[in-house]
Amino acid sequence: MGDATGEAEAKVDAQVNQDVLIMEQQRQIEEEISEAIPLVGAKEDLLGTLEKEYISDPIYSMKAKDLSSKYSSIRRTRPDGNCFFRAFAYAYFERLLTCKDDYKGFYDIVSKSKDDLIELGFPQFTLEDFYETFMEVVERIGSGDMTQDELHELFNNQGQSNYIVVYLRLITSGKLQRDADFYLNFIDGNRTMTAFCHQEVEPMFKESDHIHIIALSAALNVGVRVRYMDRGDSAQVIAHDFPEGSAPAVHLLYRPGHYDILYEQ
Amino acid sequence: MSTPARRRLMRDFKRLQEDPPTGVSGAPTDNNIMIWNAVIFGYVILDLPHDTPFEDGTFKLTIEFTEEYPNKPPTVRFVSKMFHPNVYADGSICLDILQNRWSPTYDVSAILTSIQSLLSDPNPNSPANSMAAQLYKENRREYEKRVKACVEQSFVD
Repeated sequence: MGDATGEAEAKVDAQVNQDVLIMEQQRQIEEEISEAIPLVGAKEDLLGTLEKEYISDPIYSMKAKDLSSKYSSIRRTRPDGNCFFRAFAYAYFERLLTCKDDYKGFYDIVSKSKDDLIELGFPQFTLEDFYETFMEVVERIGSGDMTQDELHELFNNQGQSNYIVVYLRLITSGKLQRDADFYLNFIDGNRTMTAFCHQEVEPMFKESDHIHIIALSAALNVGVRVRYMDRGDSAQVIAHDFPEGSAPAVHLLYRPGHYDILYEQ
Repeated sequence: MSTPARRRLMRDFKRLQEDPPTGVSGAPTDNNIMIWNAVIFGYVILDLPHDTPFEDGTFKLTIEFTEEYPNKPPTVRFVSKMFHPNVYADGSICLDILQNRWSPTYDVSAILTSIQSLLSDPNPNSPANSMAAQLYKENRREYEKRVKACVEQSFVD
């Protein structure tokens, strides 16, 4: 019976704000990660870095070799739940620095995205804040007023980097809600698409799933090739293209729970 | 120094002044834009089927922001004494949008109006104050009596 009393006391103690304690602990873990890993790292030689990482792991070593026959380098991102969006934005903006052909189409899509989102019911006042920061960066890239180093610095500046991630999350949410009839097939449970977006897409630091990638790549008309590196038997690192059949403009490496950027040979 | 958080808080403040929602107000403290004082007036929300015992109360709160705002929610606390199923003894609030359902598209105005509707529409299944939650479910008259005592206290504070 003593135990039961003890339990009851623990329950009373739970009235001390547990939420605050959990959030505090979460904050500490995040701090440790952010001190150790930059938001976006430097380009690293792919084979060298992955071979070292998987020296005692035959399956992953084999896959690293396969990967290195197709890709020369890797750029790591911080595992903070935003890695897909941040990796996507960095890789595509980096491409736009040199690939002027893609710029016009992308600019047209993103510049009218704000009105599309307002029409869907997003609050104009806060939306504008993210939109303006995002477009400022896009326009700097278009005018040629941005170097690779400046882009890198910008993506490692937490404020700006996160604003870009937020805006991509909103575009993703908008696409999912606009085409909810289709995307509802991919989500579990009885949630409405709006509820799913509020819980899994719009909040920062929520990890991305296939559905996020499909929606974002479709919304922006940017092809993404994801290379899946997992424990599967195949000696090859399997590729998935989003949207299916598109020409990839961005290459990402997926290892369970995390996305990094890949550079082709 | 202007950071995204500070710039955004200036915008939030401007909007709150230009387009204030009914029954809430808030402003940064004199020397620190990262700490705000706010007031929520309890009033009857027309589309709810019941009255709220919080009617006429003027409840004071503090809102503390970090440089990560609006990517992370601020910490919001009642300074006025509260008796509510979702408010802890220290005044902090158990509300999903201030925790795991926070979205960067919320601003101060949205936070305050959400808390305002929480007052009249508590969620007794996720209690921060188990006594208040129990009375709310099982003895509404006693619950209302305790809340009215807070409302009267709020005039004095």
